[in-house]
Amino acid sequence: MRNVARHLGALPSAALSSAAILSLFGALLLAAPLLAQMTADELATLRGGPIAETLEPMPMPPVSNRDVRQVRNYPEQPPVIPHKIDGYQVDRNANKCLTCHSRTAIEVSQAPMLSITHFMDRDGQSLATVSPRRYFCNQCHVVQTETGPAVPNTFVDIDSILRQDAGASQQQ
Amino acid sequence: MGALQRVWRTLSRPSVHFSLGFLTIGGFIAGIIFWGAFNTALEFTNTESFCVSCHEMRDNVFAELKTTIHYNNRSGVRATCPDCHVPHEWTNKIARKMAASKEVWGKIFGTISTEEKFEAHRLELAQHEWARFEANNSLECRNCHEAGSMDFTRQSQRAVEQHERFLVTGEKTCIDCHKGIAHHLPDLAESTQ
Amino acid sequence: MSISRRDYMKAQAIAAAAAAAGMAVPGEAANLVTEREKTELVWSKAACRFCGTGCSVMVATKDGQVVATHGDVKAEVNRGLNCVKGYFLAKILYGGDRLTQPLLRMRDGQYSKDGDFEAVSWERAFDEMAAQFKRVLKEKGPEAVGMFGSGQWTVWEGYAASKLMKAGFRSNNIDPNARHCMASAVAGFIRTFGIDEPMGCYDDFENADAFVLWGSNMAEMHPILWTRLTDRRLSAPHVKVAVLSTFENRCFDLADIPMVFTPQSDLAILNYIAKTIIESGKVNEDFVGKHVNFARGNTDIGYGLRPEHPLEQAASNAGKAGGSTPMSFEDYAAFVADYDLAHVSALSGVPENRLEALAELYGDPDTKVMSLWTMGVNQHTRGVWVNNLLYNIHLLTGKISEPGNSPFSLTGQPSACGTAREVGTFAHRLPADLLVAKEEHREIAEAIWKLPKGTIPGKVGYHAVLQNRMLKDGKLNAYWVQVNNNMQAAPNLNEEGFPGYRNPENFIVVSDAYPTVTAQAADLILPTAMWVEKEGAYGNAERRTQFWHQLVDAPGESKSDLWQLVEFSKRFTTDEVWPQDLLDANPDYRGKTLYEVLYANGQVDAFPLEETSPDYANHESEDFGFYIQKGLFEEYAAFGRGHGHDLAPFDVYHEVRGLRWPVVDGQETRWRFREGYDPYVEPGSGVQFYGKADKRAVIYALPYEPPAESPDEEYDFWLVTGRVLEHWHSGSMTQRVPELHRAFPEALAFMHPDDAADKGLRRGSKVLVKSRRGEIISRVETRGRNKVPRGLIFVPWFDARQLINKVTLDATDPISKQTDFKKCAVKLEAV
Repeated sequence: MRNVARHLGALPSAALSSAAILSLFGALLLAAPLLAQMTADELATLRGGPIAETLEPMPMPPVSNRDVRQVRNYPEQPPVIPHKIDGYQVDRNANKCLTCHSRTAIEVSQAPMLSITHFMDRDGQSLATVSPRRYFCNQCHVVQTETGPAVPNTFVDIDSILRQDAGASQQQ
Repeated sequence: MGALQRVWRTLSRPSVHFSLGFLTIGGFIAGIIFWGAFNTALEFTNTESFCVSCHEMRDNVFAELKTTIHYNNRSGVRATCPDCHVPHEWTNKIARKMAASKEVWGKIFGTISTEEKFEAHRLELAQHEWARFEANNSLECRNCHEAGSMDFTRQSQRAVEQHERFLVTGEKTCIDCHKGIAHHLPDLAESTQ
Repeated sequence: MSISRRDYMKAQAIAAAAAAAGMAVPGEAANLVTEREKTELVWSKAACRFCGTGCSVMVATKDGQVVATHGDVKAEVNRGLNCVKGYFLAKILYGGDRLTQPLLRMRDGQYSKDGDFEAVSWERAFDEMAAQFKRVLKEKGPEAVGMFGSGQWTVWEGYAASKLMKAGFRSNNIDPNARHCMASAVAGFIRTFGIDEPMGCYDDFENADAFVLWGSNMAEMHPILWTRLTDRRLSAPHVKVAVLSTFENRCFDLADIPMVFTPQSDLAILNYIAKTIIESGKVNEDFVGKHVNFARGNTDIGYGLRPEHPLEQAASNAGKAGGSTPMSFEDYAAFVADYDLAHVSALSGVPENRLEALAELYGDPDTKVMSLWTMGVNQHTRGVWVNNLLYNIHLLTGKISEPGNSPFSLTGQPSACGTAREVGTFAHRLPADLLVAKEEHREIAEAIWKLPKGTIPGKVGYHAVLQNRMLKDGKLNAYWVQVNNNMQAAPNLNEEGFPGYRNPENFIVVSDAYPTVTAQAADLILPTAMWVEKEGAYGNAERRTQFWHQLVDAPGESKSDLWQLVEFSKRFTTDEVWPQDLLDANPDYRGKTLYEVLYANGQVDAFPLEETSPDYANHESEDFGFYIQKGLFEEYAAFGRGHGHDLAPFDVYHEVRGLRWPVVDGQETRWRFREGYDPYVEPGSGVQFYGKADKRAVIYALPYEPPAESPDEEYDFWLVTGRVLEHWHSGSMTQRVPELHRAFPEALAFMHPDDAADKGLRRGSKVLVKSRRGEIISRVETRGRNKVPRGLIFVPWFDARQLINKVTLDATDPISKQTDFKKCAVKLEAV
């Protein structure tokens, strides 16, 4: 069950469409008896095997380099990096990310400009350049490897909820 | 005085004992041997093992190279120091070799012999190379990466966009965007670039 | 989520058709919902679920679900920032395999140790659990029951658990997973200052001129504090950052003085710095004269291994590990004189000029220095010593308890401070730094708890590592694990942890939200509510206590740890679990349930339901009929108020973004022990280390001693374990967030490329990582975020498929009993 999920190709981030909201409840109802019949050695979903056994590691999945921007789960979520960042130096000397994503670089690079929030200092005042508190991009922005989720996630984003509500009120 | 006069006299007069053939062919062969020796020695200084025999190179830029794509990649085709840093064209190569006498000086006098000293010079060293690449239109890059042979259908989207806009149009040269691809970038704040 | 093409087209079609028919359609079909009633979100504050930084977040809910989170701009700690884990908090509640029903191992309708898990009701679960606990208590007494709790318990959960164990079952066998992370720091504080927890606060970041990181990968493990440090360093060019670690990590990206040192040699480096400070005349003699005593610590104290182990047999002071004898400053100076530059540079592998630069930084009276440390220092067989030695330097120079001058022990877990340490959920502690071993302390607790004298046992219980050993040996037989994944987290899984849990004599209960490997090894699994599914409070590394309300309901039949503890207490009467002589002497307590004496005692149930917030649910209070969180908190706060641990009134915390204790007359304390900042310091004294009777801190003479297990001929590599930014602890929450899982899907063995080449390995090769105790198979990483030196590998422990703690050694600091997860010897083989 879990292994199948792992071998799926890169899935879009896992907020569900409205149809699946219904199956959310179904999943909860199903999960308990499914879990109940599982042998003890398979209970830990993230492991998928007996504790005493030495398991084989999964192959190292490649980092997604498709440059396809992913939908954010909510506006405040930092976008994931849709490309490889191997060897991209971010240290005292240089910030490689900014060579494409800084305000002045975007005409050449056509990359998304880093968010205006990244120019604000601790007190919310805008600085002339990127605020040092935002310097290490990798603390919030991560790449995605080409692998499925370890376990499905039933998070429902606000648009789906609003649509569900609208659908429900339409039917009334 | 006497010795010098004797040598001059021998050289400025026709040969007494050796035939013309001997001298010309012998000179020709000696020239080949000399040239071979010279070239071998020169080429020896163009190998990675020679470059990294200095700890300044081995512990700094070579160590940095090992995690990059020019050292470790899918196809296993990798670049060694001379591939990028020694011009292939002979006259430029010799010019570079003459400039390299400064590096010998640096080795003897320990100009960059510690990590701190290396860091202090990193910007200058990088700028030398960048200037050379800019002047010769990234010739060393193009020794392997020929724009005409690039299959854009096999590159990532970002790469395709940038190469189409700037590489094939000749608007930019490789080094303009690919600084830091093989070794760590210096502190650019102090540079005028 | 991407809206499918089909849905999009359908929406357009509806709109078109409706327009044609002259019908109004809901705002959604017009591509954007704008009606305020629909778009308004309920935003509430909460503390982040993850690290000890203690960021505050705002959580949005709609229709009973969390739909978004963001960093709280009003919070001093993070001012609107989160790290990547914090930004995905909204998804951690929604892993598809959430536990929703109790699960009991059964065979033929009966509990059976080797049965498969079947869903049962709470009634049945508690029936079995109570029966087992009663059986064990009757047959073997209170020393055979135990609890392993957590620095991720809320304050009142830890407090309720502590009461249940120490006063209810009368067992001190309750220890938190904070034993694995902060015990050395705690013992360091108590030995040096007599009182726990940092004297500085996060304001030190904006005031320091230099930062020194010791065994702390802040860039990944305390990211928001790292941003404050980065902000200070990059905004003010004179600021210097020194980083000391056994391998190059992301913190080195900002390091002005980077230092990679041989494992364990931090002891020598610290002594060298002290020596240099003394010999270069940089000692703040006035400060030392007024505020410091000197002591020689006992040495040769062993490694906390099983007593039969040859290393323990050989140690002369294994039984008196924490002892010391007073000494003079001159003797101390003579002691550290052995640690000269050449010797320490050779031992540690750090170039001399770097060591000198570091010593100079510490010595310069005009440089305000903030020292920061976490697991590299604490998870160390001499971790307490390293803590003491770090304080030595700050005490010698007087660089302490003022803005920017701050030896700051960073806490790993979100409430190791607020719950485990302050509430005292340890085998040897009671709230507010009281100790079970001291009769007068037990009496204080008994008085506050309105319990008879002699209820609380004086014998120190089993600490974390000892609990696993006692489970294996069959001496600990009824065991409850809450809010941790100790099967994955504890060292030496094969020899101790796993056989302990599966020992047929033992009944193991695990409360968790998700099916972890610990749950897999258990006999009864209780589905547990998480984070904002219950009203909670955490206390972070800078002594800031932060509250949140219940924002959503827990799924299925999940209940919070608090509910479980309190409800379970109803199953026991004092007659069943207290000794006859205690009951004879206090007949009023006969025939009462533990619930009545511990929770319905007139204090914990003092606040009526009407006082709970009308805007938020509170299932525990609704269930028990009173405001239980407030009652527990106020009873607990009685321990600390007036004794240097003052907490503000309960209701205040729901209004503010936390307060740093001691909170006296509504004022929080930012710097302790310094007059003007700390109300407990007597006017005119300047500085008072009031944790000690004579108000003086102690500088300890402590030497270098080697690790328990170093690489040798056969096992020729160091193994260092640790974490990565994207995953919290054992990954039970973060691995269930697809974006975080995809960012770092599996554990890797970070190895030097030349070491890999020598072994015929390359990036991505499978590698067997094997010690004398166990093995795992991982994959080699030669160019990741960590650049390890030759002869060392680093493996993170978040991956349930690579249980690296099968390989680690259960050697501990003998004083703190905290495991050294950073040093053992392994061999690597191609697979």
